[in-house]
Amino acid sequence: MVIQAVHVPESAEAVVTCSARGGWIMGGGTVVMPLVNSGAASVTELISLRRAGLDGVEARDGVARIGAAATLAAVGEHPGLAFLRPALRTIGSPTIRNQATVGGNLFVAQPYGDLAVCLLALDATCEIAGPDGRRDAPVADVLGSGVGSGEVVVAVRATLPEPGTWYYHKAMRRRLNSAAIVTVASVTRTSDGGVTSDGVVASAAIALGGVAPRPVRAVSAERLLRGRPLTPEVLTEAGEAAARGDIDPFDDAYASAWYRRRVLPVHLRRAFIPPVVR
Amino acid sequence: MPSQIVSLVVNGERREFIAVPGATLLASLRESLGLTAAKRGCAQGACGTCTVLVDGRPEVACLVAVETVAGREVRTLEGVAAGGELDEVQSAFVDCFATQCGFCTAGMIMVAEALLERDPDPSEEDVVEAISGNVCRCTGYRPIVIAILEAARRRRAKSPQEEAVAR
Repeated sequence: MVIQAVHVPESAEAVVTCSARGGWIMGGGTVVMPLVNSGAASVTELISLRRAGLDGVEARDGVARIGAAATLAAVGEHPGLAFLRPALRTIGSPTIRNQATVGGNLFVAQPYGDLAVCLLALDATCEIAGPDGRRDAPVADVLGSGVGSGEVVVAVRATLPEPGTWYYHKAMRRRLNSAAIVTVASVTRTSDGGVTSDGVVASAAIALGGVAPRPVRAVSAERLLRGRPLTPEVLTEAGEAAARGDIDPFDDAYASAWYRRRVLPVHLRRAFIPPVVR
Repeated sequence: MPSQIVSLVVNGERREFIAVPGATLLASLRESLGLTAAKRGCAQGACGTCTVLVDGRPEVACLVAVETVAGREVRTLEGVAAGGELDEVQSAFVDCFATQCGFCTAGMIMVAEALLERDPDPSEEDVVEAISGNVCRCTGYRPIVIAILEAARRRRAKSPQEEAVAR
C-alpha cells in the first residue's frame, strides 16, 4: 500500500491516541521501511517513535530502564550497560544500530532480534501504554503474544546481572552483520561466582535465538544445569536436552532447521566456555 | 494527510522542500534537493550506499521517513569536499584505488568520515566493523580499508597538535 501519512507524535500518550486510529508503530524504521519501500506494507499510516521522548537509557541501583525508542547504539554506549556491548555488536552494522531501536527489536522476526533474546534471558519487564493506561508485562509474554490492540511498548526494565553471571554467544555466517544461526544468552549464577569451573550452578536462565519462530527459554537445559558444574560435558548434555525439548527450528537462507538443531549444543557450550581464539 | 513542507539542515544550509507522506530521506535528498551522491541500492537498508550522517551519525537514508528527522542536521558527500577540494578521505580513496564502479563510494566515505570524527586513529578492525553495513560488489574492500587507514594518517599528520592533545 502507499503510505498516506507519517505521524511523529511528541509523547507516549500522543502515540497511543494516534495508534488508536490504526497504522504501524515504527521505531527506527529498519523493519517497517523495507516493507514500505517494496510496497509490501499492509497499512497506509505510520507512527514514528522518534520524537516521543521514549529514547532514555538509565542504569542505576542495579536496574536498567531503556526507552522503547532508544537506539541499539545508545544502549551500547551507556557505561552502565557495558555487559550488553558484545551482544549489540553482533546485531546489524554500526550504521543500522544508529537507527534500530530496543522496542523494535522485540517485534522483528527470527532469526533477527538478538537483543530480545538477551532481554528474555534477563527476564525483563515491558512497560506498555494503551487506551486503558499503563501496565507491565514480562518480556516473554510480549515476545509470545505481542501487545493488545492500540497498545505500545514504551520501555523495558531489567535487573542488571551480577558480575560474572552474564553469558552471550551468537553463531553467524560472517563475523559481523549477519543474522543468527544460533544465539545463546544467559544469566547463570554458580556457587563460586563463576571464578572456577568447580562451582555448581545455583540458578540458570538461558534464552535462545535463531532456533524457533520466537526467542525461547531453554528450560530443559536450565533444569539440567542446576546443581552441576559448567563443564564441557555437562553443557553439551544440557545443549542436547534443549535441542530435543526446547526448540522449533526453521530453514532459511542462513541455515537449515536440521543444522540449527545439530549445532545448538556446540554453541550453548561456547556461550559458557568460549573457544580459544588464536 | 497532504504533502508537507519539511525543513532540514543539509550540509550546513537550511533547506525546505515539499515531501509526500512516507518519502524517504534518500528520495528527498536526491529528488527534491538534487543531491545525488547518496545512491539508491537495495532500498532495504542492507547495502549502505545511501548512508548519510544525521546529527553526525551514519544512517541509511532509504529507511528514514523524512518527516521523522525534520529540523535535524544531515551531511552528505556533497558537503565533504570543502570549497571544491577533496578532503583526506576522498583523496585517499583516489590515491589507494579504493573505487571501482563507484556505486558504494558515497556510503563508504560517509561512514569513514563519521568513524574518523569519533576515532582519529582507528585500528584495521575498527574500520572493518565501521564499513560492515556497506556492500561493495566489485570486491574492493581491501583497498577501501587501506584508504580509510591512510585518510586517518593524513588527517592526523595535518593536525599534529590536535593529536597531541587527544593523547
